[in-house]
Amino acid sequence: MSEAAIVTEGLSKSFGAQAAVSQLNLQIQPGAVYGFLGRNGAGKTTTMRMLLGLVRPTKGSARVLGLNPTNEPELMRILERVAFVPQRKQLYGWATPAELVRMNKAYFPRWSDDAAAQLARRLEIPMKMAFKKLSIGNQSKVALLLALAQGAEVLILDEPTAGLDPVMVDEILRTLVEDHVSQGRTIFVSSHHLGEVEQICDWVGILEEGRLLLESRLEEIRQEFRLVIASGEGLPVTQSTGVVSATSDGRFHRYVVAREAERFAAELRGQGAAILEISPLGLRELFLHLVRKEDPCTPGNAGAKAVPVSSFS
Amino acid sequence: MYAWKCWRESRARFIFLLTMSAATTLLFTLMQGITERDGWWHFDRQAYTRDPATMVQLVSMMVLIGLWCSGFLSPLFLGATASGSEIEPGTIEYLWTRPRTRASVTWTHWCICLAEMAVVAVAPTYLAAAILGKLTGIWYFPLLLMAPWMTVIVGLPILGLTTLMTALRRSASGGLIYTAAVISVYVAVRQIITVPLHLNLPPLFAGPLVWLMNSTPFVPVNLAHPLFPWMGPFPWGSLMRCIFLAAAFPLAAQYLLKRAEV
Repeated sequence: MSEAAIVTEGLSKSFGAQAAVSQLNLQIQPGAVYGFLGRNGAGKTTTMRMLLGLVRPTKGSARVLGLNPTNEPELMRILERVAFVPQRKQLYGWATPAELVRMNKAYFPRWSDDAAAQLARRLEIPMKMAFKKLSIGNQSKVALLLALAQGAEVLILDEPTAGLDPVMVDEILRTLVEDHVSQGRTIFVSSHHLGEVEQICDWVGILEEGRLLLESRLEEIRQEFRLVIASGEGLPVTQSTGVVSATSDGRFHRYVVAREAERFAAELRGQGAAILEISPLGLRELFLHLVRKEDPCTPGNAGAKAVPVSSFS
Repeated sequence: MYAWKCWRESRARFIFLLTMSAATTLLFTLMQGITERDGWWHFDRQAYTRDPATMVQLVSMMVLIGLWCSGFLSPLFLGATASGSEIEPGTIEYLWTRPRTRASVTWTHWCICLAEMAVVAVAPTYLAAAILGKLTGIWYFPLLLMAPWMTVIVGLPILGLTTLMTALRRSASGGLIYTAAVISVYVAVRQIITVPLHLNLPPLFAGPLVWLMNSTPFVPVNLAHPLFPWMGPFPWGSLMRCIFLAAAFPLAAQYLLKRAEV
């Protein structure tokens, strides 16, 4: 297997006493389209910034294309090969998109004028208007154009479609799939639009309060993950393997099970529980179950307080 | 390409400073000959040929005063566009994710500002010298020709300080205000200490300009003294401090920006 495009090992970042990212382990293979999900303040942007040398890790390490972003010469080589669309798509207000293209292309040897022209046409960007006079949507499109025409091996996109209308979102996603995914480029994208993530990603990682709650192939989530709702007294919360998350409101227990849901349900029945429902989970339901702050649960739930995880696997 | 961006971003300030500097210098050069006659302004060229040496000296002094002002304002306003100023508006994420080191970004900006400062100082002064030479017939004013370059050198610590302050304050306005504040406080404290104690402290870094101002006659009237015997010793110590500060401030800014997180 070729070297991973992005690897983090125990990557952590604290701002004072506040842990933004905690012990993050990622391994993103070349050609993967990895959706990095989480609520606001979960640590997604900080992680991306650490990968690009904008923020230094407090602990742990990161490698992008085998290079260390905390080492300046290596960072320069990373930045030649990685395109980044930040969350705040702020560029020079006085410059027109055409000027920004001219300025940007000088930095990147693999810049494609054809791709830039094509994207400008497809995304309907007014190339001769000053950036500060563009709408927020058009400003986002310019930031995307600069990143996508760069010819990068890895795209790091922090909420790339924020502020775009549905037609443009669709256009961007199609561009990503047609021009980048098909060429085996790696995409590491954070988004709050789970539908978009489901449309283009093959891997997802869900982050909450700086911790990676779940990392899985999207296909596996669709095929294997199940929601098991059981009722009964004194049911175990996290005693079985494959339970990703468990919430309880007293009598009813909801389990997100990563595999062998039927076997887990049988275990519960054996303990006197009544199984009310076993249903497949979409990404949206899974995300909500994992990050919604509810009652005692596994660390799979952001509200985890008291119950240790023994079976998060 | 970052050099182009620096130029593009500071272009308006540069043009403003150059225009103001040129206008002031031209006014100082030509105003000695402008008189009112028959209810309108008239330019009397004879004013420059009656006592050309004195005229050259007078105009040179006035041009030098103008240079003092532009020598202070140019680095202050141009330096405020340093890369630290991009942190607050958020363009720094774009800039720092281009494959260029933060040090190269800092020094590229510094070089562009230096070039702009030189043009702002040199072009109007040399234009004034050319006009003055033409009007008076005297073409020998080495100190006037030297003055803009000394102004640029003396302006470098201010450019460096502004670069440092924009990095510290993370904004253009913050950098500008804090630089002006630091210089004002320095001047005030210096006066408060030196005057009552009768201290004769040499200028920290503006010595070469003070030397120019104090060197009378400013322009050699007696051309028989090619080695300028009227002039005092050149303040080499001040020049050294100037060069030290000119390097130290941007290096400090470079260090600060290298460690900055956004």
